[in-house]
Amino acid sequence: MTDVAISGVGMTDFESESDRRLLELAAVAAERALADSHHDSDEVTSIHVGNALTEALGTGTGIGNALVSELGMEGVAVDRVENTSATGASACHRGIQAVGSDQSEVALVVGVEKMSVAETQEVTDAISQLVHDREYAQGLTLPSFAGLAAGAYLDRYDAPREALGAVAAKNHRNGLANEFAQFQKEITVEEALSSPVVADPLRLYDCCPMTDGAAAAVVSEDGPVDVAAATSATGTHAVAERRDPLEIDSVRTAGERAFEAAGLTPKEIDFACIHDAFTILELLELEELGFYDAGTAWEAALDGETAVDGEFPVNPGGGLKARGHPLGATGLSQIVEVVWQLRGEASADRQVPEADTGLAINVAGFGNNSVCTVIRA
Amino acid sequence: MTGVRVDEAFRCEQCGATWYYDKHHCPVCASHEYGTTELDRGEVLSRTTVEMTPPDVRSPNDLALVRFGDVQLIAQLADDGVSTGDTVEFAGEYRLREGDDKTRPRLRKVTQ
Repeated sequence: MTDVAISGVGMTDFESESDRRLLELAAVAAERALADSHHDSDEVTSIHVGNALTEALGTGTGIGNALVSELGMEGVAVDRVENTSATGASACHRGIQAVGSDQSEVALVVGVEKMSVAETQEVTDAISQLVHDREYAQGLTLPSFAGLAAGAYLDRYDAPREALGAVAAKNHRNGLANEFAQFQKEITVEEALSSPVVADPLRLYDCCPMTDGAAAAVVSEDGPVDVAAATSATGTHAVAERRDPLEIDSVRTAGERAFEAAGLTPKEIDFACIHDAFTILELLELEELGFYDAGTAWEAALDGETAVDGEFPVNPGGGLKARGHPLGATGLSQIVEVVWQLRGEASADRQVPEADTGLAINVAGFGNNSVCTVIRA
Repeated sequence: MTGVRVDEAFRCEQCGATWYYDKHHCPVCASHEYGTTELDRGEVLSRTTVEMTPPDVRSPNDLALVRFGDVQLIAQLADDGVSTGDTVEFAGEYRLREGDDKTRPRLRKVTQ
């Protein structure tokens, strides 16, 4: 496979409600990524657009083609990728595959979502339709799965709820240092533990918000950072079919494939952007990826090991919890953060010292599908 | 899941494997010959009370992840007095979502 690099990245602010239209958000992120790269827009040979919810929220179909015209780039090849919450990383994966297989020379990947166009309950219902029919019949939502997994985790490992609160507090602290983050507000563990219950034992501050925003990357053969691996894997559609509620096979498999492709072990990764749609997921994914043994990530969270100045920084950009979770853009915003960290361009309060290799894991549904990207300086 | 009841799983007529969430063919032997089987008693592996639910779902929504032999599923609890490790069975008639055209059973604790 041809060597693949990330030659430029950019993103919009992540906000609860953006003044920009869906296509404007995408165009702003695309222009920022192109401006950050050494490529002009007329060198772009393919565009890969990640968007999850436009049909469900009634903001139009055919957004790939519409975005091309918004950018005045008619003639270029374009496609649209949808993989629920992992849409952003899947779009990037498609661009990496296109360049790696010599099917495209310069691929522009853009992930975008505008969730504020509908009422919160409508968006929740649109997202809850990604579950299995028999799960939907029981009124299950993604927080339901997270609550069941969190209860099982705390129970099995005799872990305190403070460990979940510590994940939320840490990611908020990192978000405070990220000017693009939706929440730039510090919270205490106590505040997290006393916020309203969403799905017991998870509370409001254990859950990511709904977000408007876009993120983009330019993928080509040369650039300041290289793609060491981009892999994906699927798991069961129905969450209850997993023999152990604390296992997320798609994360484990995507990670194993990524480490093998990159020729690296978890110990050689300097920091990670983990899909913390719920605080419990940060712990489970760290364990599935082999960064921590099963049942030990909660201690690392409590001990500050995963803080920016800790042994293994996790979610230096604030994660989904604080940076926000615009479904189609999230995976790309993780990749943007990894690239900024590797180039030493993150703000001082969240810059991981001497970062050479970073990993991002973007997860669809509650582990239906996972996309793992490893990038090195 | 056309026609299949909440308290039924699928059962392969060739190899006897059971599963709950629809498959095009038996996940073990790939046979297309399968019917349904009634679920008896299961063990609660984890439970949660969901406070924030979609518009047509009750709030709070008490749920449990339950193992019935080889079959695992998540379903609504009839009441909140159920803990991890309890034995449950499907019973009663309830509307699981507003607008459902018929009633279905919920999980209830089995007291020996």
